[in-house]
Amino acid sequence: MNESDQKPIIILEDVCKFFGDFQALRNINLQVKKGERVVVCGPSGSGKSTMIRCINRLEEHDSGKIFVDGRELTSAVKDIDAVRREVGMVFQSFNLFPHLTAINNLMLALKLVRKTKKSEAREIAMRFLERVHIPEQADKYPSQLSGGQQQRVAIARALCMNPEVMLFDEPTSALDPEMISEVLDVMTDLANEGMTMIVITHEMGFARNVADNIVFMDCGQIVEMKPTDEFFENPESERTKLFLEQIL
Amino acid sequence: MTFDIYLIFDSIPKMLAGIGMTLHLLFLSSFLGLILGIIILLMRISGRWYLSFPTFAYIYFFRGTPILVQIFVIYHGLPQFEAIRDSVFWPILREPFGCAILALTLNSGAYVSEILRGGYLGVDKGLHEAGKALGLSTPHRFIYVTTPIAVRLAIPAYSNDFISMLKATSLASTITLLEMTGVARTIVAQTFAPYEIFIAAAIIYLVMTWFLQRGFGLFEKRMSRYIKLSEA
Amino acid sequence: MSDLIAWSDDYFWGAMVVLKIFAVSLVMAVAFGLIGATAKLSKSSIANKIASAYTIVFRGVPELLVILIFYYGSAITLTSIGRVFYPQTQFIDIAPFWAGAFAIALIVGSYATETFRGAFLGVDPGIVEAARALGLSNLHTFFYVRVPQMWRLALPSFGNHMLSLMKDTALISIIGLEEIVYVAEMATAVTLKPFTMYMIVALIYLSITTVITLVMMALEKHSNRHLEGAL
Ligand SMILES: Nc1ncnc2c1ncn2[C@@H]1O[C@H](COP(=O)(O)OP(=O)(O)OP(=O)(O)O)[C@@H](O)[C@H]1O
Ligand SMILES: [Mg+2]
Repeated sequence: MNESDQKPIIILEDVCKFFGDFQALRNINLQVKKGERVVVCGPSGSGKSTMIRCINRLEEHDSGKIFVDGRELTSAVKDIDAVRREVGMVFQSFNLFPHLTAINNLMLALKLVRKTKKSEAREIAMRFLERVHIPEQADKYPSQLSGGQQQRVAIARALCMNPEVMLFDEPTSALDPEMISEVLDVMTDLANEGMTMIVITHEMGFARNVADNIVFMDCGQIVEMKPTDEFFENPESERTKLFLEQIL
Repeated sequence: MTFDIYLIFDSIPKMLAGIGMTLHLLFLSSFLGLILGIIILLMRISGRWYLSFPTFAYIYFFRGTPILVQIFVIYHGLPQFEAIRDSVFWPILREPFGCAILALTLNSGAYVSEILRGGYLGVDKGLHEAGKALGLSTPHRFIYVTTPIAVRLAIPAYSNDFISMLKATSLASTITLLEMTGVARTIVAQTFAPYEIFIAAAIIYLVMTWFLQRGFGLFEKRMSRYIKLSEA
Repeated sequence: MSDLIAWSDDYFWGAMVVLKIFAVSLVMAVAFGLIGATAKLSKSSIANKIASAYTIVFRGVPELLVILIFYYGSAITLTSIGRVFYPQTQFIDIAPFWAGAFAIALIVGSYATETFRGAFLGVDPGIVEAARALGLSNLHTFFYVRVPQMWRLALPSFGNHMLSLMKDTALISIIGLEEIVYVAEMATAVTLKPFTMYMIVALIYLSITTVITLVMMALEKHSNRHLEGAL
């Protein structure tokens, strides 16, 4: 690997976040290198979503610093837009635009943000729908697709913006069991292609296969962060052990 | 007493003379009310208190008072002020038609802005976030994501409001305008056959309501293609 | 200012008339709404049809026109009936108060019909079954389980119906009821201050609708207290 691959693309330094009096994030420190795959796990309410939502500023952190590709996240609108263009996000509840067909869901931001011409946008969108194996559903509305198909469209929608980093917030937990694997397969492909990914998930099989590092969070803190094998073989903290016992 | 069913049919054509005025009042004030409602909504969600505060007062006043009283305040009341009699608006405010349009527009604007606001509040928060995550700017999200969904959500309430507006146009008869109810009242004064004439007018209103409801129903269906298709 | 003081008594009594007609027609509107909802929910298709016709007609015809039909219609009916017995009868007319109250109660009752029907259907059948399974009688189930749930579901729309009813009372001045719009008309003729006089009417209505809104908000809060913190 060369120098630039070693440089972290995402840096969180002592990040704290409050909701009123409640502290959702406590001094989070995290570095993600280019091409690295990080899985985040932890009990419900531990702050996982809050942490990754701070990375594309769907939540604003209260103290500490966040850098994405060398750009610090501040309240300057210009910077936020630039960061959001580089960071793709996939939500638990898909959040597809219900009034647009699958392909138009992909084309909207291409046209408006990337200023791509319509015909070109359509081509790009089609390519990404093929990548998630549903080009034949291009002209259907989200409500006509299964959950697994919708989530794949959502992944394609984020990917076609050509992001540097992809954030996944429990992408399979709203899906019926038989659809989980079709989404995980797409994500595994993506990982193998070298995409930088931060994935919140409780799919430990996927984590073992794909992740370079695993982050365990509890009560707004990062309790443990280790390379995957080590994390599963000898977790340090009691809380991690307890969590792994419950989930495995 | 005789109930003359033929009188009903005889009077319907006469009443239709007033239909033009009714529709004129309805469509003009609904159109202006829609524009006003959108402006009020934008002011309200602007996040600036000096824009949003007046909209609260406006909506509060117009939703809390009878339209009839609003019409009277404007038609009978405004000429009390010399400044208004001298202003450029006087040619409009001097005429009952202008006053009726003004009152109905102001009233409709207050309701429409609330209806649209309901539509916007009904849009899933996750869609805003998805738009943000894709890097769409605030105006782009507003135009391409929120508005189409909000409009569809608002149609049923808007359709009810439109029908309320149709009914409200009848109040213009109290300031001498000869719309349908006004025409009916004049005929009754001549024939003294209130049942027949008023019932004839009621039938025409019912037919109009029916058409409006159907129209909005079709419009809603069109706007909800993306939902209906999945059920089929 | 002195004009206002001079007319304050009339406005006060006018406002009393408004409140009285509101109370009377509210009771009737609730009754019409309950009857209408029962008819719509009943298995008899005749009752269904009558109730549907009722809601379609009274929701589709302007309020003013309904009031005019009731007022002039009842007058002409009563006069002709009167003439059967006393041919020399000139004109019998029903008090605008009752014609108006009845008309606006029927109108608001037609809206309440839909609200009550929706509230009845909105009660989770599982809850009713659970009550029956616990051994509650039909009557007890109805009053202790169904009605409280219906009440909670119907409350928001019902609040709006009360506001409409209150505002509809203004229309009755058109057939000569001596309430505040009528007072303003009299006062204007004397003082030549129409804006002031009609604005007072608006403000009186505004205060009454504000009170209604506040009461409804308090009631809604009370009826939803079991949901507090649940969301
Ligand atoms: N907008 C908000 N306002 C107030 N509190 C919030 C908000 N968002 C999150 N929280 C609180 O912050 C804490 C962390 O929430 P977060 O959604 O990050 O948890 P999570 O680890 O993603 O949990 P889950 O596995 O359930 O998704 C929770 O206690 C939650 O109640
Ligand atoms: Mg979460």
